[in-house]
Amino acid sequence: MENNLIEIKNLKKSFGKINVLKGIDFSIKKGDVSCIIGPSGSGKSTFLRCINLLDYPTSGEILYKGENVLKNNYNVDFYRSKVGMVFQQFNLFNNMNVLDNCTIGQVKVLKKDYNSAKENALKFLEKVQMSKFIEAKPSQLSGGQKQRVAIARALSMDSEILLFDEPTSALDPETVGEVLKVMKDLAQSGLTMIIVTHEMAFAREVSNKIVFMDDGIICEQGKPEEILVNPKNERTKNFLFRFIVGESG
Amino acid sequence: MERTFFEWVGYILGHYGSWFLEGTAITLLISLLGTIIGFLIGLGLGSAKKLPRSSSKIKNFFLMILNGLITCYVEIFRGTPMMVQAIVIYFGMQEFMGISFSPTIAGIIIVSINTGAYMVEVVRGGIESVDPGQMEAAKSIGMSHGQAMIYVILPQTIKNILPATGNEFIINIKDTSVLNVISVTELFFVTKSIKGAIFRTYETFIVAALIYFVLTLTVTRLLKMLEKRMDGSKEFVHASSTMPILFLKKPGEKNGK
Repeated sequence: MENNLIEIKNLKKSFGKINVLKGIDFSIKKGDVSCIIGPSGSGKSTFLRCINLLDYPTSGEILYKGENVLKNNYNVDFYRSKVGMVFQQFNLFNNMNVLDNCTIGQVKVLKKDYNSAKENALKFLEKVQMSKFIEAKPSQLSGGQKQRVAIARALSMDSEILLFDEPTSALDPETVGEVLKVMKDLAQSGLTMIIVTHEMAFAREVSNKIVFMDDGIICEQGKPEEILVNPKNERTKNFLFRFIVGESG
Repeated sequence: MERTFFEWVGYILGHYGSWFLEGTAITLLISLLGTIIGFLIGLGLGSAKKLPRSSSKIKNFFLMILNGLITCYVEIFRGTPMMVQAIVIYFGMQEFMGISFSPTIAGIIIVSINTGAYMVEVVRGGIESVDPGQMEAAKSIGMSHGQAMIYVILPQTIKNILPATGNEFIINIKDTSVLNVISVTELFFVTKSIKGAIFRTYETFIVAALIYFVLTLTVTRLLKMLEKRMDGSKEFVHASSTMPILFLKKPGEKNGK
């Protein structure tokens, strides 16, 4: 399994006495899109945050291109610059305008010169259709606009993989579409992505793999058709059943 | 000959106006420099207090000691009157270390250290009031803790704590008056001297009170303006759709570490 971009072995995370992740095994290849679904509190977000070490795992291994990022002296900041993250609450830098949000990391972390950073940022802002707003501060943007800038910020770092933590959950139904469209385009362009989401139709459309998590473990994972249409695990069935009932009722 | 109240005030301003001006200048100098230096002390030590725990035990031990020292500094200088600090530092330095400053320099040092002690806690609170998501986002694009603090967290912190800093400045303008105990020729000291020369307590101190009031009022207005400016305008300009966007080379080939 040499061509796994990220491989995770027996990952555990506990906060004090509460075990949130109870041994996760997971891998993703370059160009793949995985969606993680599951009920609230199942550990989906914690799992995602463990992948780029915003929450430091209690035990286990995270192999990035075959190298364990949890070993001592591994350059965590460098690893994080390769693993981008898009947050539910956008988290744009409030003290900077849209353009600076997308250039600061390139200039300060990747040590690019400002002009090439700006060029790169403008390219991705254009891609998410936010290049008209480069002068705007985050407080002047709508939720959907903020999220699109956040995606451009992550893309500007030329990350190998992008993690999405419920990117549309804080948006109103109308703006969800614009963000999902951007993500769909990214998936088609071959970007590696791991997406925590509650948008089942979207998950089915874009992903090569769907992972169902409950109570800190991966209950079932496989192709979207297998998981969403013919789930084998009891808990997956229950979750999806409630989802369908919830949506139609 | 008996003068009325206003005649006395006129007499004082006429004869001792330049004394008042000099005293006011010293008061402003000490309180302004003291506030700025104290602000910087607070920014440094307040940020040091928020350093993340590391995985190495030795580093954590030093962090703990650093934290303890900062706490001692804050508690001691917040817990004793500035007048006492002034005497202890000014005369103590002379007696035990043979170091003597001019009273004005000593005054600036004392006000700075004192303001710093208050600002440490203000800065800590200011850092904590910034949404934790900002730090997470900074880390997620690979910034180190230091970079995240400098480019993302502290700019927002400073904006948050500007009102509290202005408050400190106004308090300092008034509290420099205690420095008269080490003979700093600030406004209060000058006023006392003038009173000694003409034996008119009431009129002389009314003039001093007015000067203090005008100073603090002006500073308050100026700070309000500064805060408004830092908030920025509510509008932004749409970048022109004809703006040239260049796609010259593929992104990020040469950016490895």
